[in-house]
Amino acid sequence: MSMAGINPQNGTGQPYANGPSQNPVGVQELPGINYGLTHQANYNYSPMQAKASVPPGPAPGVYPSTAYQHVPQVSSYQAGPPPTSYPISPGQPHLTRPLLGGPASHTPPQSASPGPRPPPAMSTPPPPAVSSSGYYPNPQHHHQPAPGWQYNSAPPPAGPPTATNAPPRGPAPNHVSPPAPYSSAPSASLSLSAARPPTGLQGYGPPGPGSAPPPMNPPAVQQYHPSRAPYGTPPAGPPTSMQPAAPPMANATPPPPKADGSGIGANHVDAKPAGPPQHGPPGRHLGHYPSLPPGYQHAAGPLNTHPALESATQPYVQAPRQAPPGPGPAQLSPSLASMSLQSGTPESLRVVNLLQERNLLPPGPVPAPTPCLPQDLQKINCSPEVFRCTLTSIPQTQSLLNKAKMPLGLLLHPFKDLSLPVVTSSAIVRCRSCRTYINPFVSFLDQRRWKCNMCYRVNDVPEEFMYNPVSRSYGEPHRRPEVQNATIEFIAPAEYMLRPPQPAVYLFVLDVSHNAVETGYLKVFCQSVLDNINALPGDSRTKIGFITFDSTIHFYNLQEGLSQPQMLIVSDIEDIFLPTPDSLLVNLNESKELVQDLLKSLPAMFEKTMETQSALGSALQAAFKLLSPTGGRLSVFQTQLPNLGAGLLQSREDPNQRASAKDIQHLSPATDFYKKLALDCSGQQVAVDLFLLSSQYCDLASLGCVARYSAGSIYYFPSYHHQHNPAQVERFQKDLKRYLTRKIGFEAVMRIRCTKGLSIHTFHGHFFVRSTDLLSLPNVNPDAGFAVQMSIEDNLDDMQVVSFQAALLYTSSKGERRIRVHTLCLPVVQSLSDIFAGADVQAMAGLLACMAVDRSVTASLSDARDAMTNAAIDSLSSYRQSVLTIQQPGLLAPACLRLFPLYILALLKQKAFRTGTSTRLDDRVAAMCHLKHQPLAYAMLMIHPALYRLDDLTDEGALNVNERTVPQPRVLQLSVEKLSREGAFLMDAGTVMYLWIGRNCNPNFLTQVLGVPNYAAVPDNLYLLPELDTAESQRTRAFVAWLREQRPFFPSLHVVRDESQLKVALMQNLIEDRTESALSYYEYLLHLQQQISK
Amino acid sequence: MILLTMIARVADGLPLAASMQENDQLGRDLQQYQSQAKQLCRKLDAQSPDRCTLEAKDMNFHYLIADGVCYLSLCEPSFPKKIVFSYLEELHREFSDQYGRKISIVTRPYSFIEFDTYIQKTKKLYIDSRARRNLGSINTELQDVQRIMVANIEEVLQRGESLSALETKGNNLSTLSKKYRSDAKYLNTRSTYAKVAAVAVFVITLIIYVRFWWL
Repeated sequence: MSMAGINPQNGTGQPYANGPSQNPVGVQELPGINYGLTHQANYNYSPMQAKASVPPGPAPGVYPSTAYQHVPQVSSYQAGPPPTSYPISPGQPHLTRPLLGGPASHTPPQSASPGPRPPPAMSTPPPPAVSSSGYYPNPQHHHQPAPGWQYNSAPPPAGPPTATNAPPRGPAPNHVSPPAPYSSAPSASLSLSAARPPTGLQGYGPPGPGSAPPPMNPPAVQQYHPSRAPYGTPPAGPPTSMQPAAPPMANATPPPPKADGSGIGANHVDAKPAGPPQHGPPGRHLGHYPSLPPGYQHAAGPLNTHPALESATQPYVQAPRQAPPGPGPAQLSPSLASMSLQSGTPESLRVVNLLQERNLLPPGPVPAPTPCLPQDLQKINCSPEVFRCTLTSIPQTQSLLNKAKMPLGLLLHPFKDLSLPVVTSSAIVRCRSCRTYINPFVSFLDQRRWKCNMCYRVNDVPEEFMYNPVSRSYGEPHRRPEVQNATIEFIAPAEYMLRPPQPAVYLFVLDVSHNAVETGYLKVFCQSVLDNINALPGDSRTKIGFITFDSTIHFYNLQEGLSQPQMLIVSDIEDIFLPTPDSLLVNLNESKELVQDLLKSLPAMFEKTMETQSALGSALQAAFKLLSPTGGRLSVFQTQLPNLGAGLLQSREDPNQRASAKDIQHLSPATDFYKKLALDCSGQQVAVDLFLLSSQYCDLASLGCVARYSAGSIYYFPSYHHQHNPAQVERFQKDLKRYLTRKIGFEAVMRIRCTKGLSIHTFHGHFFVRSTDLLSLPNVNPDAGFAVQMSIEDNLDDMQVVSFQAALLYTSSKGERRIRVHTLCLPVVQSLSDIFAGADVQAMAGLLACMAVDRSVTASLSDARDAMTNAAIDSLSSYRQSVLTIQQPGLLAPACLRLFPLYILALLKQKAFRTGTSTRLDDRVAAMCHLKHQPLAYAMLMIHPALYRLDDLTDEGALNVNERTVPQPRVLQLSVEKLSREGAFLMDAGTVMYLWIGRNCNPNFLTQVLGVPNYAAVPDNLYLLPELDTAESQRTRAFVAWLREQRPFFPSLHVVRDESQLKVALMQNLIEDRTESALSYYEYLLHLQQQISK
Repeated sequence: MILLTMIARVADGLPLAASMQENDQLGRDLQQYQSQAKQLCRKLDAQSPDRCTLEAKDMNFHYLIADGVCYLSLCEPSFPKKIVFSYLEELHREFSDQYGRKISIVTRPYSFIEFDTYIQKTKKLYIDSRARRNLGSINTELQDVQRIMVANIEEVLQRGESLSALETKGNNLSTLSKKYRSDAKYLNTRSTYAKVAAVAVFVITLIIYVRFWWL
């Protein structure tokens, strides 16, 4: 196949332009309804229709959604026969159990239940059944979602039922004065724990006989261990990480629940005797179950004997069950599983009364919601790590979106380090009108034609595409890798190049003024570059250069053949020129020795300097001149306010105003010099990365522009000093290593396309927008994230799904031009409840943070803060008004949004947006930059740090990574209530980790992990965990190392004692607590509730 | 001054290596020449002359085709041709030494972009006026550059277009003549019929006349 023949199709004329997407020549011969004429049609239709027919997100519609979230269970549902079918296979032990257990305990509800569909769902009734059957005329209601929710926060008159259900969900002991109904709490929860396993097994059992993969069964079983474990019957199966959580929890339990518990004791005992006799079956099931010791029934025994203790632990034990709505190891709470099965409500729509349920955090990371798509589409859909939408179900119309009052946008991490399929083909198949790359979500009308999923134009399949290089077969265009992978990379043909691919060019611009030398960063920098000089990405063409500056600019001639580097000083900073244009930027391979010489001598060269001025602007201009013929990466290291020559800045910060409640000034740049320079750089394919190492104000708001518009990144090391701040030095070292060695893409552009009807209107991140929707990225790095906001311009009637495609064209460091294409497909829904069910709370928080940063720069910080709170109020009140059928008191949220107010509060207390607390302006601006530029996964840790208890790590539930055992402690709420003096806690706040040691910390931990005899001996500025040869030390270090490995930058670790200065920083991250200037989480919820009910 | 160097495969015009233009100090816009060079590489085929100089506005393209690879450079018109061609010769020697076997199998554009380093070094050597004198003496025995064909870039690039224009014209002509032919046939038949009819009428009249009035 001759290339010439195909070229025209790829738009020979416009190599760079990924295609003018503004003029989608809407060839819509086939209306959206016809979409998916192929076999997919079935899948497309069924869920949607089901949803449409059964209004409140009920059974059939829901099954798919839960099923996709918990893939393993899909089969269990499918295999799970309706109750009537149980008897059919009595021979199976698994099935026998349900047979005995299910009907025995729940006969009444079942007979009352109209639908035979949700048999496993019967598991919710256990509480009723156990505590007293008299309570529960309601169980039938479980079959309808609404009544199910009613339970949760039934109006006061319905006291007892409320109580029985509320406690299992979450104790909320501090918020709600425990009324009498609480008395039944333990019994309910105990019975849950007792009765659940069987029911749970019942629910999950069918996979055994069915086609379910066997490994799925154990997790289901494990799930229950945490609750049981404390009662002394360690189950045979591998236990989960939750087990350790329970005992500490018990310690940490605040008084109220304890009181509850003891109060309850009596009732509980009363109830219990009635329970077991009635429910002998649970015990019997267990007897049948091979992996559970028959002793399970004993578990009930201890329960009865120590009611107070259990009741105290119970609420917390509950916590792990609070459904992480995700697949895999994330445990689905049995109660929730049953709930969703039974009522037919998707887990994500379960009503949560935020005022009553405290433990909303899942035990592990919050998983991304799975779009409610047919399974075959979802299987190939883009990974949420790369491409995430705030609403995984797209509303059909803008008015619907307005009604839901949630932000619609995408969060991207396009250049993430991935191993992905690479396609080399002389012809890249794209839609002729909108230039969309062919992707898994297009439909093939026949073998010769495909219909674009963005503009619905019918295109021809080129001859070459008919041949599948993977299977070496002809005539199967739908089996090509392009159509099988949502994330793929193409090697671009010559049409995608305006000029020959540029070499990797690195230029370092270093501040060598007195201030800079004082910080001692030069030494670390030079050492790092020396160490990594062979690991710099590039080929034999790689070029490198150095410029240093104080009040003058120093160039270094490194031309091959010189005996030593030659320093050239230009003191005319007003009209900067290059002394020898062609020997300042040299081939790294040829001049490596000279470069090494220079790096070795550089730190010593300026040791004695007394020059305090800094002509950064001129240095940048010189660097730009040097780089402009080729393009490349410009790394600037700056330690003070530039105060000489072009682009000089004045200090704008008044330290006394830092904590004032008045609005924060000076968030916008003081001069447009840096922005203009950045735009010039962007035009010449130069990206500027800014490293700010400073202890004083540097006006990052102005300096940052140089990186923002040239697609660079910003690194901020406040109070860097080589002696006083060793943790910062280590962080600088590690970050620099990553920075030098990470993958890099040059002269890149990115375009995001979406299905006709949707439009992208605002972009967030570091880039320059060229021609309305083309993001110009002189450099792209794997640690950059982007966000866009979208609106719905035309109604998406008749569409089942919409797609989004991000295409990133870049030159690799090896001189290859490549195109990385990510395609995401999402369903379109018509009802508000479906929109809410698909909300991705983390993505929403991430997008809102980006929007708030913009707002605080263009308007004011208080505006931005109000806007965030309003976002929470709007979405929750819209939920209350439009989705909830029955109004109840309390602050109600669907389960998928249950963390939303928490995240918003976390944002309000984040460095970027907080008020009232003394925050340096640079810190604030740096936090804002990071929020905008970091991929969601990393930004989330900055917003809502994770807190773990470290002194009782066990190997239970541990991950096995590279033959290392990594314990998985549970994520705790960010409240001082969770810290106990007897423990050691790790707070992971993204770029920094704090290890807080309680005053009465377990001496074992101190000696085995920290290597000190007692608390008083813990050094004040400890930032390294000693490598001790003890199990505890290994576990702790493995866990910390594992956390660090998960992100590209290096978080420094600080060991914090009670009296350390850093304790303040730690406490500021405990966002659920009240501070002198900010509301506690509960107060904030009350505030929201007040606003909503207004 | 050599502003641009490009190495491409003649068979399909696939660029194999190129030297980045580094001459933005003079403020010349090389973009246009860059795309002309690309087009030129695509136009060239086995029938093209081995060595040729093409005039393009205020610059000259010089190219050399050897072993199915085209070595192309853009120079100022004042730059001696002899030196350009010996520069291209040298590139050719080194390039086929390094990559000779791989040339026919690569599919990715600029697969040998790393050759850029060598190009730049050689270029520096050749444009250095002091070194040039030495090179000049070495290369005196080189082929007579006067024999090298000179053409205009526009002509070369548009040759294909004029050919296709000619073809369309020819096609038009043939359709027209076909039409003329059928029209003529039709007219011929018509006139024959008319003649026959006239004769017949005359004969009939004559017969009738003879039959009724004569007798």
